[in-house]
Amino acid sequence: MMRRRFRRPDHSLPELNMASLPDLIFTVLFFFMIVTHMRDVDKQVQYQIPAGTEVEKEQHKSAVVHIYIGLPLDGSTDDYCIQLNNQLATVGDIARFINEERKGMSAEDQERMTISIQADREVPMRVINEVKQALRQSYALNISYGATERQ
Amino acid sequence: MFRHRRRDEIPSLNTSSTADISFMLLIFFLVTSSMDAGKGLKRQLPPPPQEQEQVADILDSDILTIELSANGRLTLNGAAITLPQLQQEVRQFAAVNPKHRVVALKTDPQAKYDDYFQLQNAIVAAYKPLKCPPRISDVVVEEETEIGGKP
Repeated sequence: MMRRRFRRPDHSLPELNMASLPDLIFTVLFFFMIVTHMRDVDKQVQYQIPAGTEVEKEQHKSAVVHIYIGLPLDGSTDDYCIQLNNQLATVGDIARFINEERKGMSAEDQERMTISIQADREVPMRVINEVKQALRQSYALNISYGATERQ
Repeated sequence: MFRHRRRDEIPSLNTSSTADISFMLLIFFLVTSSMDAGKGLKRQLPPPPQEQEQVADILDSDILTIELSANGRLTLNGAAITLPQLQQEVRQFAAVNPKHRVVALKTDPQAKYDDYFQLQNAIVAAYKPLKCPPRISDVVVEEETEIGGKP
């Protein structure tokens, strides 16, 4: 043991052990995989959500359904549009959309289904009210006005 | 070269690229995911109007009427008011008998969503110290008045 150490040639560099590096990176990777959720829709409307002081975090990601309201990005109209999933829609499509979303959920997610309304600040209340009335008709009564937190 | 290799040595697997592969996966997840869960102001809608509506008897003194006009002006029982003042008024109003008192919102169809949101936010903030959720009758003016629904 001692003899070997003394015999080591002086010009060889000691090698850094990299064996644990992949494990380390994998741990970081798994951390990110668990805490994040994938974006599943492409934005087709432009919106800036309001800011409030009483906002709460949306719980149970799988039970949240988003409705986006804003001006279309392609500039086809100057009217405020509703986006359900990946396409622009009208108020009449909401009932069908909610039913489809509900079907795809587990029983307990159906119970706590929350509709998150992501609407632009400038949207007239007429549009918001139409959406809300449509949601009432579909018995999707838990809603959340999407907003950012303000101090 | 082969002649010099000792027999009892196990050839080691080259794992230096594992780090690169896991880095690639890590970067993929970093790019495609969004860290922050959505936030929002939670509200509950009343169920759709029934054939036979039960008319609730509510004293005039138990109703606080707030109107939001198209240009974002707030009026409380007919008098103009600012949002912080309104929050104080609602807090005082709710201090007594909050389970029976109703906040009646009348919103103009042309009012901006942001103004409406700030109004809802103020009401929720005013009711925060109380255990009981606000009872809000939420109408966009052209529709029939309906009172009920939890918050």
